[in-house]
This record gives sequence, C-alpha cells and structure tokens, in this order.
Amino acid sequence: MDVTVPPQGGRPPGRSASPFPATPPLLEQGQLHEVHCRAQDRAAAFAFALTRGQWARDGDLFLLRVPGKSRLPFCFSGEGLALLGLEPQRLTIVEPASEIGLLRAALDAARCPGVAAVLMDSEGRFADYDLTASRRLVLAAEASRACVLLLRVEAEPRASAAQTRWSISSAPSVPLAADAPGWPAIDAQLLRRRGGPAAGPWRLIWDAEHGRFEDADRRAAMPGAVVPLPSLRTDTADGPGQRHVA
Amino acid sequence: MTRAGNALRLAALDARALGEGLVSGMTLADARARCPDLLTRPADPEADARELEWLAERMRRFTPMVALDPPDGLLLDISGCAHLFGGEAALVRQVRGHAGYASHVGLGPNAMAARALARHGRGQDRGQGADVTTLPVAALDLEDGALAALRRAGLRTIGDLARRPMAMIAARFGAQAVARLRQILGEASSPLDPRRPAEPIRADARFPEPIARTDDVMDVIEGLLAQAAEQMEARHLGGRRFLVRLVRSDGARRDLAIETGQPVRDPAAVMRLLRERIDTLADPIDPGFGFDAVQLAVPHTEPLVERQRTLEGGAQAHRQEGVVALIDRLGIRIGRDRVRRIAPCDRHLPEAAQRLVPAAQVQAQASWNTDESRPPRPLLLLDPPQSVDVIAGVPDGPPLRFRWRGQLHEVRLAEGPERIAAEWWRRREGHQPGGAGRTRDYYRIEDGEGRRYWMFRHGLFGEEADIRWYLHGLFP
Repeated sequence: MDVTVPPQGGRPPGRSASPFPATPPLLEQGQLHEVHCRAQDRAAAFAFALTRGQWARDGDLFLLRVPGKSRLPFCFSGEGLALLGLEPQRLTIVEPASEIGLLRAALDAARCPGVAAVLMDSEGRFADYDLTASRRLVLAAEASRACVLLLRVEAEPRASAAQTRWSISSAPSVPLAADAPGWPAIDAQLLRRRGGPAAGPWRLIWDAEHGRFEDADRRAAMPGAVVPLPSLRTDTADGPGQRHVA
Repeated sequence: MTRAGNALRLAALDARALGEGLVSGMTLADARARCPDLLTRPADPEADARELEWLAERMRRFTPMVALDPPDGLLLDISGCAHLFGGEAALVRQVRGHAGYASHVGLGPNAMAARALARHGRGQDRGQGADVTTLPVAALDLEDGALAALRRAGLRTIGDLARRPMAMIAARFGAQAVARLRQILGEASSPLDPRRPAEPIRADARFPEPIARTDDVMDVIEGLLAQAAEQMEARHLGGRRFLVRLVRSDGARRDLAIETGQPVRDPAAVMRLLRERIDTLADPIDPGFGFDAVQLAVPHTEPLVERQRTLEGGAQAHRQEGVVALIDRLGIRIGRDRVRRIAPCDRHLPEAAQRLVPAAQVQAQASWNTDESRPPRPLLLLDPPQSVDVIAGVPDGPPLRFRWRGQLHEVRLAEGPERIAAEWWRRREGHQPGGAGRTRDYYRIEDGEGRRYWMFRHGLFGEEADIRWYLHGLFP
C-alpha cells in the first residue's frame, strides 16, 4: 500500500486511497439527517431517505409536509412504498398549515416513544428551521431513538446540528431488456458529516433481490475481488528514517 | 320484498298496496300480475329493527315502561300516566301522532290483551272496554296446525274457547294455547320487559364562591375526570367524546368538546387533549368574575377492554398507546382530517386504488397489491395528472420527446404500454360502445438526465379525435 506524504506533512483530505471506496454511511437512528435535492429529483430523495434510514420496519413512520408549499401536487402511492420494502399502513401523513406547525408537530412526533422515524418534507427557504430548531430535533431524536429526516427541496444548506447532510439526484439507470428503464439509480453525495469528513459522490443502484440501494462500485468490484495486503513493515520501529514498503 | 325459498315474496306493504288486494307473503309474480306498476325494494330487517328501537326511545316521553314487540310493535304500560296527557283517548291520539307511522293502537287491562286487540281487533272495538272475547282465535298467535285444529273444531272466537274447560283445551290443542289464553284473559300474568335507558356519565362541581384562576378550574376538571373514570370503569366503558361546560357567574356558558380516536379513561390523557383544545381556541376563555360551576359529560362511550400487561408485550403496547395519543393530539391541534393514513381500495384506476382516511379511525388490516408480474407503480402520484406535450409514434408507440413545465426532455428508455381501461360499470351508458370512457396506455419512461416518469395517453388513436398525454407519477 502506498501512503503518500505531502510536503507540508498534513493528512490527506477526502477519502483514504484504498482499493475499495468507502461505502456511503447509513442514516443512523437517534440522529437528525438532512437531504437536499432539486425539485425534479424529489422522488429519488424520498426513496433514499426511506430506504437508507435505520429504523425498525415494524415501527410507525410519520411524514409531515405543508400542503400549500409544494409547487407540485403529489401524494404517496401505497404500492410504490411497498415496492421499496415499506409497509404503507405504517405511514401516517400529517399536514400542518404552516412551517412553524410543521416543526412543532415534528418535535412532538420525535419525542413520542412509539414513533420509529419522522420524515419532514420542506420546499424553499424554510426560514423557521434554524440552529435552535435543529438542536431541539436532535435532542428529541437522541432521547427517543427515532430517526429524524428532513428533506429540503430547492434549498441552500444552512448551519444546523444535523448528523449528516446529503445531496441527492436521480441518475441514469442500467437498461433492462428491450430498452426498458432499469432499476432506480441515485447519485448521492455526503456534503457534511459531524465527526467525519465529507465524501462521495456515490452511484447507488437499487438491488431488487435484497430490497435496498447498493453502491455501484462495490457491486462491480465484488466478483473476483482480492483481499488487500496488510501494510507490511520489514523494519522494526527504530526511530525516524523508516522506509515505507509498497 | 324478501327471498323465501326460491321465490321473491312480499314482506311488507303500504296502505295503497293493501287496497289493491295484495297480501304479505304473496309471491312477487302474483303481485305484479295484479298490479303491474308495483314499486318494490329489498327488505332490510336490520334497518327495521333499528327504527323500532328509535321509536321505542321516542315513546319514552309517555311512559318509562316501553318494551319491544318485534318485528313491528311496541308495548307501553300507561297505568298511572294517562291523566298526565288528558285521558286515555288523548294519549292514544298523541302516541299516534308522535310515532309518525300508520299504526294500530289497542288498549287492554294487560299486555297480551292489548297486543291482541291492536293486532287483531277491528275498528272501534280497540278502545277501552273492548271485549277480548270477541277477538278471533288467530289472536292467540299459535302455530298453523293448532289454528287449523281450532277452526275445524268450530271455535271461532276467544270467547268460544274461554267457555271450554282448560284441561280439554290443553289435551287437544297443546299447553301453549292454554297459556296464551290465560294471559289474554288476565288470569295469568304477562309481564313487560322494559328497556332501560343507559345512565349517562356525568360529574358536576359547584363552587360556593366563583373561581377566576384558570389553573384552579383545570384542577377541578381533572377531579371531575377522575370521578367520570370511576363510573366508566365500573361499566367497562371508555369515553370517545368529552364535553366540559363552564358556567360563569353572570350566566354565560362555555363549552369545550374533545374527541378521541380510541376510547380513553385516563384523566391525564384527557387533560393533555383538553389543554391542546384550549390552546387552539379562537377566542380565549374569559373568566369574567369567576366560574360558578363546571359540568363534565361523556356523551359518546364505547366498551374499553383493559389490556393485560404482560412482560414481553408491555413495551409494545406502551409504544402503540403513545402513537395513538400522538395522533389524537395532532388531530386536535391541526384538525382530524389532516392526520391521515393510506388505505387500499379495490379499484384498478391508479388514482382510485387508494384513499386517505383519518388516522384516528380504527382500520382493518389492509392488503396491498404486490403483484410481481404487474409493472411497477411510481413512488409519487401526481394528483391531478399534469398535462404534457408529447411527440410519440402513432398509433401506440412510446413517447420520443416531451415538454413539461417549459422544459424539453428527450426520452432515452421506455417500457409499455400498460393498458388500463376506464371503469365502464360506473357510467350510465358504459356498456354501450363508445360510452365507457377513455382507455389509458401507461408508459414508464426515462429521460436523458436519468429521471423516470409514469405517463399515459388518454384515449386510443382511431377512437378519439384529440389525444392528450398526461404525467401521472414519478419514479425514484
């Protein structure tokens, strides 16, 4: 393994240069996660948030949105949810009249012990979502171990107490037979992460067999993969001037 | 009109039909032969039973002892009540008017006699002082065999039967005939089984001096809820609707109502909901000079089963209750029809295959169609479908290029068509050719930037003049 030391002597930023790229981290429960996307990629962002979230699938999922805010009149399809591996009867859709009401309802839901995940859908600036509001959500999530997700469509990233911040967009899929569109594909980029470096972008492709999104590079690298050599040190640790072995 | 055996028979008739000579039990074919423009409706015995119970409740203003005499009668014990309404004749008139239905009313010294007079008496013979002995033997309501035997023996009226020795009647016509006869004549008792109204659940508090502080009033309400909870616990009920009435010292009254999705008894849970309701009031509660009294009523109750708290199921039940309480709270704060769940419907049009129901309603286990062989459905459905301008191959080729919201998209991949026909059975002339509504051909397409859409062509080429395309859903 080759470890390059830059002239300044600092640590190399970004992901470590290993044969396998780091896998995109899952959205852990008991934390707040933000997902940014453009308006036309909303479906992809929803699919990402719903499937990569870590919560017990037999728990209740609360989706909150302000109906007037979105420029596109959409609703969830139960069969579409079932295809992603979620149970439609576990979903409760809450539609407060204002964004303040949205935050309040999300806080109540995050504090409730029986709720497994809270997903907020917001569009635009969302001025009421500031550092304090995000901090309250984080505290509620940590107390009840619920997974709190905030979808921010067409919004600029803002400072918040979220554990991870993602940018999601739809990607071209691998065609099936007869030029049919293939399984969903998503480009995911980790913009910010508390206690770790930013990373990405990753191409995630839906794996119908396992019912989850898989990293495309990892899938390609799986067959015939070679176990990496551990870093060998032929010299014993005897002070500076060690030689690096490739 | 009901189905008895293989034939449709008439179950109940109105006055005009009786005038035409139709009788109950006649087959529909005979009835139609007599009266060609007969209007019929299927019989609904449950609705009739409910209506009879409602009528019994209405009769309660005349006497507390009201009993049902199914399928279509009521027995009222009016001893001691007649003078309140101006005499028995006036009472009978008021009962007739109050019932709202054409009715026969019979008065008698005991329940069975009154019943017999009402059902089998004739005209003015039904009033007070009518002689039971002139009633036909059919008034005994015996089986057909015993009735035929009575007729063969030449006994036409109850008076004839009463003159014969009881032992002989029992030997020839059965013990039931004797029992009924004795009840009608008044020699044996025929007690009523009245329906008692359920006691409402209430708790009141009156103060010797008016209370102006809202916190103190809330404490009082919590105490009243505890009293109501005791009453409900004794009857194994839970409240679905609570009504709190605050009576101010100047006479003004303020009502607060809360509804819950599941029956509750716990005072703390109801207090939380009450505080939510008070927070969302348009005009806040003004104590004025203070409240004189607080009244609590639970108008709508339901049986509440106490769940056994086992060790392993305890946590799960606690979580479920937490979610139910959360749904109630959010419902009170933002409106019950803004907290909803998706329920499947058994229809094949995509926008009708599901509907949103309020989450507070108890719902049965839903079964979703996860048919693997069917093409996949999108995650988001657009409601209403958005109109798009499409260039596609004619007559049933997939889209090649489309414009949506001012942006041009090139189609790279397409799958389809999946044909979904209109629901012809829901239209008036749907079975006629051309009256069924437009068929839709759905296509699953992907554009050059990697976004996947669900689009349909509304109508088939060759059948319709103008063909339009619509975007119905978005895939992830």
